[in-house]
Amino acid sequence: MSTELNSQGSSTPSRKRSKWDEDDDTGDLSAPTQIHLPKKRPKHKTSRPHSERKSSSPSPSPPPPPRYNHSVYVPPRTRHPAIQSSRSVYCYERLNQIEEGSYGVVFRARDKQTGDIVALKKLKLDEEKNGFPITALREVYALMSCRHENVVGIREVVVGDTLTQVFVVMDFIEHDLKTLLTNMPSPFLQSEVKTLMLQLLSAVHHCHSNWILHRDLKTSNLLMNNRGTIKVADFGLARRYGDPVGVGGMTQLVVTLWYRAPEILLGAKTYSTAIDMWSVGCIFAELLLNEPLFQAKGELELLSMIFKLLGPPTKNSWPDYFILPNAKTITLPSPQPPAIRPKFPHLSMAGIDLMMSLLTYDPEQRMTAEEALQHPYFTESPLPKHPDLFGSFPSAAAGEKRRKAFDSPSAPVRAADYKLLTEYDIP
Amino acid sequence: MPALPPLASLAQLENSPSTDDGLPAVLEEDLRAYGCKLIHQAGILLTQKQVAVAAAQILFQRFWYVSSMKHFGVGDIGMGALFLASKLEECPIRMRDLINVYDVLLQRAAHTIGPKADTPFKYHPMSYFGTAFYDLKESLVVAEMQILKRLGFNVHVVLPYGTLINYLQVLGLIKQENACTKAWGYLNDAFQTPVYALYQIPTIVCAAILLTIRHLNISLPSEAPNCWWELFDACWEDMWNVCGYIMRLYRERPEAEQKRVLGLVSKKDVRRWLEDNVPDK
Ligand SMILES: Nc1ncnc2c1ncn2[C@@H]1O[C@H](COP(=O)(O)OP(=O)(O)O)[C@@H](O)[C@H]1O
Ligand SMILES: [Mg+2]
Repeated sequence: MSTELNSQGSSTPSRKRSKWDEDDDTGDLSAPTQIHLPKKRPKHKTSRPHSERKSSSPSPSPPPPPRYNHSVYVPPRTRHPAIQSSRSVYCYERLNQIEEGSYGVVFRARDKQTGDIVALKKLKLDEEKNGFPITALREVYALMSCRHENVVGIREVVVGDTLTQVFVVMDFIEHDLKTLLTNMPSPFLQSEVKTLMLQLLSAVHHCHSNWILHRDLKTSNLLMNNRGTIKVADFGLARRYGDPVGVGGMTQLVVTLWYRAPEILLGAKTYSTAIDMWSVGCIFAELLLNEPLFQAKGELELLSMIFKLLGPPTKNSWPDYFILPNAKTITLPSPQPPAIRPKFPHLSMAGIDLMMSLLTYDPEQRMTAEEALQHPYFTESPLPKHPDLFGSFPSAAAGEKRRKAFDSPSAPVRAADYKLLTEYDIP
Repeated sequence: MPALPPLASLAQLENSPSTDDGLPAVLEEDLRAYGCKLIHQAGILLTQKQVAVAAAQILFQRFWYVSSMKHFGVGDIGMGALFLASKLEECPIRMRDLINVYDVLLQRAAHTIGPKADTPFKYHPMSYFGTAFYDLKESLVVAEMQILKRLGFNVHVVLPYGTLINYLQVLGLIKQENACTKAWGYLNDAFQTPVYALYQIPTIVCAAILLTIRHLNISLPSEAPNCWWELFDACWEDMWNVCGYIMRLYRERPEAEQKRVLGLVSKKDVRRWLEDNVPDK
C-alpha cells in the first residue's frame, strides 16, 4: 500500500500535457475566462501509462521539456503513494497468536505473496455507536504519519469479511522489551542503555514533531528486533495535539499507571508532550534497574513513591502544583531531598542529571525529547554500543521460548473505562 | 520529514471507475464538484472547523479514483467524508446533526428541480424514530467505513494554508491584502476540483498565486533561469494544469447542465440515468 509508489515515470499526469505543451507558456491569463480549458481526451483501452503517454503526444513528438530537479522538501508526484484500497486479511496466513488477554489481539502471520512474516493486530470495533471508533482511527493515523526507523512499521490495513474486522499489518518484531527485561539474567550494560535511550528518544521526538502524543509509553509497548533496534509500538492511545495545545476535556484516563506523569495524577485538564517524557524517564530507570521504577497499586501509592524518590514538590520546583484540582486533597510529606543518587549507584553524574531532567515535576520545565537527544550523558564514556553488537535473544513472540512476562497493569482503556474513552466529548 | 499523502496515479487519473461504468467524464466532474459543495454547505450549517471541511473534500475526491458513482452516491460519501474528517481533525460531530443538515440540503435541492420549484422551499423535519432517519444513519456508518476501506485507511491529508502564507511572505506579497484574499479564495475554490488528490501542495499553492498575480497585474520574475515558482519546486506545466482545473469552475454553463447534478445525488439516481442514457455495453 503506501510503501508502493506510483508506477509512471513522469511526475506529471500527462492527460493534458500534450495540450499544454502546444500552448504558449506566457499566454495571457489575466482574463480568467480566456484560459484554455483542459480538453478531455478520448479514453484509451491500454492501461500501460508509458505507452499511454507516447500515444497522446502530437507527432512529431517534441523533445520532453527539461525536468526541474526537485529539492528534498518537495518530492516529485511519483514519490507519493497511489490511492489504494485495503486488501483482504486472507492475503495472510495465520501462524500463532502473540499476545492474549489484553484488549487487542495480535497474531503472527505470513504474507502469502511475499512470504514475509508480519504481525497482525485486530482493531476493537464492535459495539460502537458513533461509527468507526475515534480511538482506532487515531491508532492507524498515528502509525501512518509517524514512520520512523524506531517506530514499528505499518505495512497496510486489511479487512475481513464484515465491516467490523479490521487488522493493522506491521513488521514482525521479535521481542518486546518487557519480556526481554524479565528474562534477561543481567541488566543491560550502560552502553546498551544509551543506544536504546537514543533510539527511544528519536522516535518520541519524531512523533512529537508530527503532532502526535503517544500517551502509553512503557516497556511492553517497546519492541526490539534481533539487531538491537527498538521500535515504539501500540499507538492505541495516541492522539493528535496542537491547535489549540491541550484541548480542553482531553481525557485524563491515559498512560498505564506506573508510567503516568504527576500532572495527570493531580487531575490537570490539559497536558502535552511532557507526559510522554515522564514515561521515558520511567523507562530509562527500568532499563537500568531491570524492573519497573514505580510499582504502585494505586494512584495515591504512586504519588507517595514519586514524592519519596524526588522529594515532594515545592513552589519552586512546580509552581502550578497548588492550583491543580487534586492538590487540595493531598497532604504533602515534609520536605526531603531527592533520593535518586542512592537508587542508581552506578549511574554517572550526567546520567543522574538526565534522569532528573526527565522526571521533573513541572511539565513546563521537563526536558523535551529534542533536548534529551543532545544530553552529555550520550557523549561521555562508555559510548553508546553499536546496535549490531547486541546479542540476540530467543523470541517469545515467535513461540521460540514462550514465557509470560509478569503482569503489569495496562492503561485504563483496556479495562472498564474503555467506554469513557470512546465516547468522546461533544460540545 | 512527514509522511507523503497519497495522490492518484496516472492510471487512476486516466480511467476513473465511474467513467468505466459509462458515466461521461464531464458529468462525473460536475457531481464531484457538487458533492464538495454539499460538504462545504453542511460544514457551514454545522459551524464545523474549516480544516475538517477541507480534509473531508480531499478524502471525497480521492474516493472517486477507486470507486464508481454507480455504487456510491455523492450525498452519502460526502456525509461520510465529513463525519470521518471531523474525527481526524479532533472535532467530531454528532451523527444526528450531520444527518439533519444533509436532509435539509438535499430536500432543498430536490425542491429546486421539483414540480413546485416556483413556490418557496419549506423544510419538513424527519422523525428520529422513522425509518428515514434510521436508514440515513446506516448509510452514514457504511459510507464512513467504505471510505476508510477504499482509501486503504490512508487518510492523511495536507492542507495548503500554511504553505500559502509562507510563499506570500517569501514573494513579498503578504502585505497586499487583496493578493492574499484572492489567492486564499482560489485555494478554497480548488477544493471543488480533484487537484488536491492529484498534485502536491506546493504546486497547487503556486497555481493559486499565479492566477492571483495575473488577475491583479502583479509582476514577478518569470524568465528562465529566474522563475518565481521554481523557488518552491513547482513546475510550470503542473501549475498550469491546476490553473485549468480551477478556471473550469468559473465557465458559463447552461442552466439545465447546472441543475442536472441536483437529481443525481444517490447511486439509484445515477443508475437510472445510466439506464436511460447509456446503451448497454
Ligand atoms: N509488530 C509486532 N511484532 C511483534 N509483536 C508485536 C507487534 N505488535 C505487538 N506485538 C505484541 O503484542 C503485544 C500487544 O500489542 P499492542 O499493540 O501493545 O496491543 P495492546 O493494545 O493490546 O497493548 C505487544 O506487547 C507485543 O508483545
Ligand atoms: Mg500494549
